[in-house]
Amino acid sequence: MLFLAKAALGLSATLAMSTAYVFHEGVIKVDVDEYRGDGKHVHLWVPATAINLGMHFVPDHHLQKASMQVQPYLPALRELTKELKKYPNVQLVDVKDSNEHVQIALVDGKIQIDVVAPDETIHVRVPVETLEDVTDRLEATAPSI
Amino acid sequence: MNLSSRGILKATFTLALATVILIPASTSAQSSSAASKDQWIHVRVESKDNGGDTVRVNVPIELAEKVLPTINKDKLHNGKVHIDSAHMEDVDLRALLDAIRTSKDGEFVTVQSKENDVRVAKSGGYLIIHVTDKNQDIVSENMASSSHSKAKAHHESKVEVKVPMKVVDALLSAGKDELDVVAALRALSSFGDTELVSVKDSENTVRIWIDSKNISD
Repeated sequence: MLFLAKAALGLSATLAMSTAYVFHEGVIKVDVDEYRGDGKHVHLWVPATAINLGMHFVPDHHLQKASMQVQPYLPALRELTKELKKYPNVQLVDVKDSNEHVQIALVDGKIQIDVVAPDETIHVRVPVETLEDVTDRLEATAPSI
Repeated sequence: MNLSSRGILKATFTLALATVILIPASTSAQSSSAASKDQWIHVRVESKDNGGDTVRVNVPIELAEKVLPTINKDKLHNGKVHIDSAHMEDVDLRALLDAIRTSKDGEFVTVQSKENDVRVAKSGGYLIIHVTDKNQDIVSENMASSSHSKAKAHHESKVEVKVPMKVVDALLSAGKDELDVVAALRALSSFGDTELVSVKDSENTVRIWIDSKNISD
């Protein structure tokens, strides 16, 4: 009986620890709703850790291709992510016209992008730390010029 | 293990736990208070037509200072903008700014006419440019009657620019045919709350200002 209790305690502790590890970097949230006949509806909740871990399993040639495409923007992205971590919650950009509303904000260490338009609604939340990790990984695999 | 060494171990463990829990909290509190002291540049554009379009941008000056040098596109390189003198309509912008920089405080240009009021001055370490366009737009013209009757709408637009001379100095600190935007931002961050640009007309309001708040008013 005591053995079972110890095993259950160990299992619960392990589960709690792994859950805490998986979610310690936060969650990436993507919601896309297209209001067309064949419109797409994408709703994703992914632990940010999964992106970091997942990038280690992406074949190098795919990463190199991606990093070549974004290479001109990597230094700016690196500085941006490094700096954004310093700032509190803030609305960075807010553009509104009669049809569309675009907002870019920093909320609890996450970049939040919201687009509300007549034909689509997009909500994206990505932890700044994850963006930094992705930039690091892309920079590491970028072919040297 | 005797009781005293257990006590020391417990105390050490408690201290370590408290350190781990408290240090990140105090560090983040410090960083957020440091960040709140930073200067922010705000841009607000409000348009009355088309259902009231608005643009609001709030950017920390320090962030712009760090990110701008990493962008190399078109005429922007290493935080400096290249001025193509051939495309300045024969106005040597650099020489013009340099002349203002080295001159004493005073009114450089004062134009008052039916159409426009223009004032360019240097005062208290600031370059001040005020332009009032008193343009009267003809909105309708009745050609049916024997005498032409013209309905006029009075559209006054005001442009007010106030730039610290130190920022102008910093802007000109780059080489010839270049404006150092990053140096100008660095100089700008040392100033307190300042209204830099204000444009008002019947349709649009544009404001660019700096302050220590991370929200536009």
